[in-house]
Amino acid sequence: MLSQEKLQEYLSFLMQSAADFAEIFEEFEENETIGTLDGRVEKAERQIVSGIGIRLYRELQSVYGYTNETDEQSVYSLLSDLRDAVGEKKESGDPVPVLLRRVEYENRHPVRIDYRSVPLEDKAELLFRAEGAAKSEDPRITKTTGRMLNVREEVQISNSEGRLISDVRVRTRMFVDAYAKEGEIMMSGGARPGAGKGLEFYEERTPEEIGKEAARQAIVMLQAKDCPSGKMPVVIDNEFGGVIFHEACGHALEATGVARNQSIFAGKKGQRIASPCVSAVDDGTIVNAWGSQNIDDEGNFQKKRVLIRDGILESYMIDRLNGRRMGEPSTGSGRRQSYKYEPTSRMSNTFICAGTDSFESLFEGIERGLYAKKMGGGSVNPQTGEFNFAVQEGYLIENGKISCPVKGAALIGNGAEILMNIDKVSDNLARGQGMCGSMSGSIPTDVGQPAIRVSSITVGGTANE
Amino acid sequence: MNKELWIARAKELGIDELEIYEMLQSERSLSWYEGEMDSFTTSRVLGTSLRALKSGKQAEMALEQADDAAMDEILGSLLSQAEAVNSSDPAALRAPEKTEEVQGKKHFSRPSVPEIKAVLQELQEKILASDPRIFQVGSVSWQDSSEIRRINNSLGLSVEENSTAQVIMAEAAAKEGEEIKTEYKVEVVESLADFDRDQFVSELSEELLGKLGGRSLPTGRYKVILEKKAMTSLFTVMTPMFSGEGINKGISPLRDKLGQQIFSELVTVIDNPRNTDAFEIANYDDEGCPTRSKEVVSKGVFTTALHSTKSAMAAGTESTGNGFKGSYSAPVTVRPKNCMIVPGEKSLQELQEEMGEGLVITDLAGLHAGINPVTTDFSLQCSGYYVRDGKKDFGVSLVTVAGNFLDLMKEAVAVGSDLKWSYRPVACPSVLFTGAAISGE
Repeated sequence: MLSQEKLQEYLSFLMQSAADFAEIFEEFEENETIGTLDGRVEKAERQIVSGIGIRLYRELQSVYGYTNETDEQSVYSLLSDLRDAVGEKKESGDPVPVLLRRVEYENRHPVRIDYRSVPLEDKAELLFRAEGAAKSEDPRITKTTGRMLNVREEVQISNSEGRLISDVRVRTRMFVDAYAKEGEIMMSGGARPGAGKGLEFYEERTPEEIGKEAARQAIVMLQAKDCPSGKMPVVIDNEFGGVIFHEACGHALEATGVARNQSIFAGKKGQRIASPCVSAVDDGTIVNAWGSQNIDDEGNFQKKRVLIRDGILESYMIDRLNGRRMGEPSTGSGRRQSYKYEPTSRMSNTFICAGTDSFESLFEGIERGLYAKKMGGGSVNPQTGEFNFAVQEGYLIENGKISCPVKGAALIGNGAEILMNIDKVSDNLARGQGMCGSMSGSIPTDVGQPAIRVSSITVGGTANE
Repeated sequence: MNKELWIARAKELGIDELEIYEMLQSERSLSWYEGEMDSFTTSRVLGTSLRALKSGKQAEMALEQADDAAMDEILGSLLSQAEAVNSSDPAALRAPEKTEEVQGKKHFSRPSVPEIKAVLQELQEKILASDPRIFQVGSVSWQDSSEIRRINNSLGLSVEENSTAQVIMAEAAAKEGEEIKTEYKVEVVESLADFDRDQFVSELSEELLGKLGGRSLPTGRYKVILEKKAMTSLFTVMTPMFSGEGINKGISPLRDKLGQQIFSELVTVIDNPRNTDAFEIANYDDEGCPTRSKEVVSKGVFTTALHSTKSAMAAGTESTGNGFKGSYSAPVTVRPKNCMIVPGEKSLQELQEEMGEGLVITDLAGLHAGINPVTTDFSLQCSGYYVRDGKKDFGVSLVTVAGNFLDLMKEAVAVGSDLKWSYRPVACPSVLFTGAAISGE
């Protein structure tokens, strides 16, 4: 990381231009991936991501440059390019040099077992335990794969307002896939939990538990029938089921779209956008959560943001530049994959809050519907609100009861409509981990919710009826 | 980085073979919003990726800081990584091979910043003026990039390839009543001076306005045409099925299918990294293996699995030159490069006439999640238009198309002539199918 003196020198040089704000983001990330197949180590990879991203604002214009060549000559060459692009200073008079003050704070996300201190063999052993548990679950599990990702990212952010602040982000995640075979049919199941923790995570979420979950899903899907199609009530279960809120609503509440009136929820603050039983938050402060940080990637402290309270839109997720456009302060939501991306407003740990309905009551009165136990990923167009996502493990609901498993289902609809159509929210809130892709790259986020019931969604299936 | 020094030191430390892969990427982009420059980005990143072999076991490390001072620490880490691997599949690096290199046809000229700004402003104005229903140009942008790729290894291989590109992108939104639709367009542009702005604007505008007034369809089975853009995106996500890696592991739906009819006999698939019509050519893959053209599917019969060096060794065959990386830091995997469904004779209009009545799908969404790569089952949000008597009748939106890709491809009854290479390494013409499950009302 660059010294405080060097940063002051660079920032002062940048501000000798038409820019009204300058920022330097420095990053040093180490990560490793260990991959296993049927109890053997297939790969052991390490990576170092290291470089700087430099940003200038001139009112609403932004100029961004990044490089991993951080010797003084290369940096000055980049700084000069950026100054040229932003234009010359209009007012005369001597520029005011930038003086930085380091902001200290207490780390909310301590790590007990640093992955770098643990031998590769021991980490591979955790994967073998998961694969072994999956295989011993059922003789039809013919193949298993495991993968562990460990990341340690150090960032230092300084800006022309005099702020200098650092953060260390650590996370780990295990991916287990199990393949079940019966005759010619092969089905897969997967589990992929993670946290903003060191390897102590696998003491709480044991590899055996992860392996069994993958196997269970693969075995269930062997019996799955084709999913019926059409509009029907859908019960979406907790944890990764929250991807529905993430895709259908979360993205449309990001300032990236809202600031330019490119979101269905632009200009709707204080208005009802969801059924009264829905409250939702984006909370980047949850201790050691997968989507948490001490500070965002613009150097502001992460926060808990109430997005929707009892169905009323309360807050958007706002980064610094879009905040300028909207005339509102940042909500600490500026995030990016790495120094290779300019930050923009992003989610952290986003979920629908727990309700009061019992899980069982969600199925009452449904003659024919779909129970989406595990969701896959999805996507949304924030401007139109149209979303789609895949159901990884689904079941038919017949006469108020969960019946047979179904495969190949997708849910499509409009985010604004779906929020209004949630008519029951249960009390079993849980979060699941994912990687969220958007303009500023792929970042870790938690999605979450308790089981919810949506009175009507279009289900796309393959069954001929 | 002193490569000779690293290779010599690796041998001293007990590493059998070492590969040094470097990628120098430079990019500039400029985006325009509401009559002004919105953002300007410039970058230069040199990424280095090392691959070490010890007793046939392989370890990889990707670095954005590769100082000679850290050499021993990095090589030591690679050695212990390789020793932790106990895969039953051996890995190998490639020795140099002779090949006749092909030169790309595309030559990109570098415009000045004022020239770029003028083109973007003109595009923005023309898009807005093209129809009163278009109320917003989300952004128009320009990007140029250059890549220099170098591969050296301890077997004496030394390969270098360069590529450059320039693209223009625009996104716009249109409104009719309460309904809002958006569309974007990306075009590879060799020279801004010769870039046909009017053509670009009219294509974007037509695609965008065609989405307005779309309605759902009653759930059922329909004849469908996957228009070239939709066909290309669906085929792209299905191409991992051709990977020798997946076949070796037994998780590709084409395991045990070599030599068998997998698609309709109207469908032939060719993968040719040296196809100079495509966006970018590669004379070598990311292991330094010379690339070549091969028929992957010949008249519906699966004839060639794609291979990297490692997957070929496990399958007892030769690499097809398809060992590519997703980025400099990603490991080599088997990937198609300039893979296409060979176009037929009929235009899209002729396909519509042959279909008579049915759905033309122009857009698919949810491709990263809505497919099962093991079975090729898919269920995807789609939009397009309904055809009656061979003519466009009304727009269709918020429906899904679902099925099994292998089953669908057996039902191809006509392949269009309208293949067009864009910025992707896969291209397809429009294809007419006898039926697919559509879910709507």
